[in-house]
Amino acid sequence: MTDLNSYIAKLDKAIEKYIPSKNTPLYESLYKPKDLFRIPLDDAKKMQLKTIKHSFIHHYNNNQFYHNFCKEHSFSPEDIKTNEDLDKIPLIPDKFFKDYPNGKEFATWLANIYTGDLPKIVIKQKKPTYDDVIDAFNRAGIIVTYSSGTGGRHTFVPRDQRTFLNSEYILAKSFVTMVYPFWEYDSYGYLLMPNPRKNFIYAGKAVEVYFDAVKDVDVAIDRRVTTELISMTMGGAGGIKSKFVRYFAYKKSKKMIDDIIAWLEKHENTDHKITFVGAPYILYAVMEKLKKQGRTFNFGERGGVGTGGGWKIHENKRIPVSDFRKEVQNVLGFKDKYILDIYGMVEGNGWMVHCPEGHYLHVPYSFYKPLVLDDEFKPADYGEWGRFAFLDGAAQSYPGFIVTGDRVRLLKRCPVCDRPGPVLEPEVKRAKGEDVRGCAEEVRKMLSSDLGS
Amino acid sequence: MLSIREIKEKQLIPQKPQLKMMIGGGLALSKTLLISLGELKKLRKIPSSSERYNRPNRTYDLKKYESTMKSFTTNEKYLRPTLWCDPTEPEVIALAHQLGAYQKSEQEFAESAFEFVKEKMTLEILPFNPVSETIKRGTGTCIHLISVFIALCRAAGIKARYKMFAMNMIQAWYDTTVNVDPLIKKWYDSMGYFMIEGEGEAYIDGKWMVAHVGPRAERQAAGGIPVTKFGEDSLGNWFFAIPGSIMYMESIPIGLGGALRFLNKLAPGSMERVNISVQKQIERGKQIISQAGGIDSYNVNARKKKGPSTPELELRGKEQIVFE
Repeated sequence: MTDLNSYIAKLDKAIEKYIPSKNTPLYESLYKPKDLFRIPLDDAKKMQLKTIKHSFIHHYNNNQFYHNFCKEHSFSPEDIKTNEDLDKIPLIPDKFFKDYPNGKEFATWLANIYTGDLPKIVIKQKKPTYDDVIDAFNRAGIIVTYSSGTGGRHTFVPRDQRTFLNSEYILAKSFVTMVYPFWEYDSYGYLLMPNPRKNFIYAGKAVEVYFDAVKDVDVAIDRRVTTELISMTMGGAGGIKSKFVRYFAYKKSKKMIDDIIAWLEKHENTDHKITFVGAPYILYAVMEKLKKQGRTFNFGERGGVGTGGGWKIHENKRIPVSDFRKEVQNVLGFKDKYILDIYGMVEGNGWMVHCPEGHYLHVPYSFYKPLVLDDEFKPADYGEWGRFAFLDGAAQSYPGFIVTGDRVRLLKRCPVCDRPGPVLEPEVKRAKGEDVRGCAEEVRKMLSSDLGS
Repeated sequence: MLSIREIKEKQLIPQKPQLKMMIGGGLALSKTLLISLGELKKLRKIPSSSERYNRPNRTYDLKKYESTMKSFTTNEKYLRPTLWCDPTEPEVIALAHQLGAYQKSEQEFAESAFEFVKEKMTLEILPFNPVSETIKRGTGTCIHLISVFIALCRAAGIKARYKMFAMNMIQAWYDTTVNVDPLIKKWYDSMGYFMIEGEGEAYIDGKWMVAHVGPRAERQAAGGIPVTKFGEDSLGNWFFAIPGSIMYMESIPIGLGGALRFLNKLAPGSMERVNISVQKQIERGKQIISQAGGIDSYNVNARKKKGPSTPELELRGKEQIVFE
């Protein structure tokens, strides 16, 4: 069996272009440690302080609105001396990224929340749509990812190339480390999300690195999913056009399930390793269809799954993560240790991944500090339920110090495995009073029907 | 009879976003009703044996109108009478004087009008009517209540206008105003948002100040949110506007009243269920406030729980963004 160092070195070679810039604290805290989840706590604490402080100074000095916000809170870089001081960094509610104007002002809004120097961005339309503005930013090298339009409001976050590559690298390294020694480049993948090369919806865009980490990747939703299309398929718009769009989305989804089954058949009698990455809902629909047909596969150690984005399978039904794993074992024959869930969000670049032993969500704590806030939005102790917040040292183009609408429980260490860092309970829920969200839920709504029901 | 010019000038024609919302909302409602015909039959009226809505008694006395009371008659924009909002009605003028019109500063008067409408009047879903009727009754939809606030301001010579938007709401609000009736829930869920909500705005010292008079302190307490003051917005607190849907207008547009009347005819039971729920919400809120030791101490705690403030973002043009 390959040792972990060689294993990660192979990954780094495959995804070289994503590696963080040298001579930065993030390079030390993200690239250098081979296993992000086994860094001794004392070392990780030093890295965390250095990386997050460096990021804070960058945003404090180069982002006008965040600078003003910090001044209102009487907080400046000099106030950060220890890891505990990091907890006092002014946090931005995630709703901030949902409160945007439309038309030309949308472009100005993005420019104003962006940290640092903008490149020249040319907008040709007189009345630009959100998609027109996103395209214009993308042409200038800024990737505007969006998510969670479930309530009619998206979350928009502008990422420069560096921030985007950081996010991709973290995702790949975190997952590949957790499934050690399963990963190999010469394998086959199926992305259960919209094609990241055609889209900016975060459900998908975030896993562009999949195409570099795995030799051959198929995509479940191989079309452009615009903000307008989301609005139509999610029921936010009326009219005949929307009905057509929803009908075609439904038809395409049916075909998608058949395509995935055909792909499984193709790899069944080979020695190929296969992985699924993306919305559990799609794989659930595949398994439901197979069960109806009385069919199973037995991929054993050759199969792996990385899920993300929520566990709704029908409009009013969630599937427990453990039940999903059992289904994958029973129907596809994958091993439990290679069926892992990943938790992340459009506002952040840290990805929390299940450990194979206990399926707790491990936090990459050397550059990312997780916090749980109580009812009064003050940091709570380990073991308490509360609102998830984080300090993200990998965000360069916007201040990644965010309070989310997710309800979590943070533990000092995993109750099952021997990795030393903090973990979140396996299932994350929405806090009371927050919109339902999650990229898998968006994909489910986009596909417009409950497949497999 | 208004001329076409007046109709246009007073913004009685729905603006484009509102037209879109009304068409979208109408289609969503038609679909909801078509697929729920059986349910509609069952739910459109509340059986007499079930819990019924009793309108609460008015909690204030009204001063009698006297012809000597100073009033403001003009055709100036934001001061003149508009649809369902006539500041020259005697009841409006009398109440404006009762609240200190022409004695207090504009800011002080607007605050008094805000406090009066927000805390003395109660939400009740019913068709539109003139402001004087709302004042005499003491209840109305959020738009009735906004109209009272706007009429009072205009009667005191303060410019005032409507701010309308489509929105999502916090769960506690959803539970008491949407989730209480299966038809309304289906309608809301099919759109993902509520198609029209509003606030008033008064023009004071060169600035439009927002006034959300819809919920009394008790309802806000029942929803776990702070008791808001004049100048504090519902948006970002318990409502979240659908981007691009915020509209400012001098008048309630034509069509909105008809839609509400139609709904009342079609499913009076649905409206009644919401009204019953609002009364229960008020009762619950009273208990919460009393347990907290009064409105002020409730408010201190609620503001702590409101979470971190959102950064202020002043949109400044950037030379790197080029519009061709």
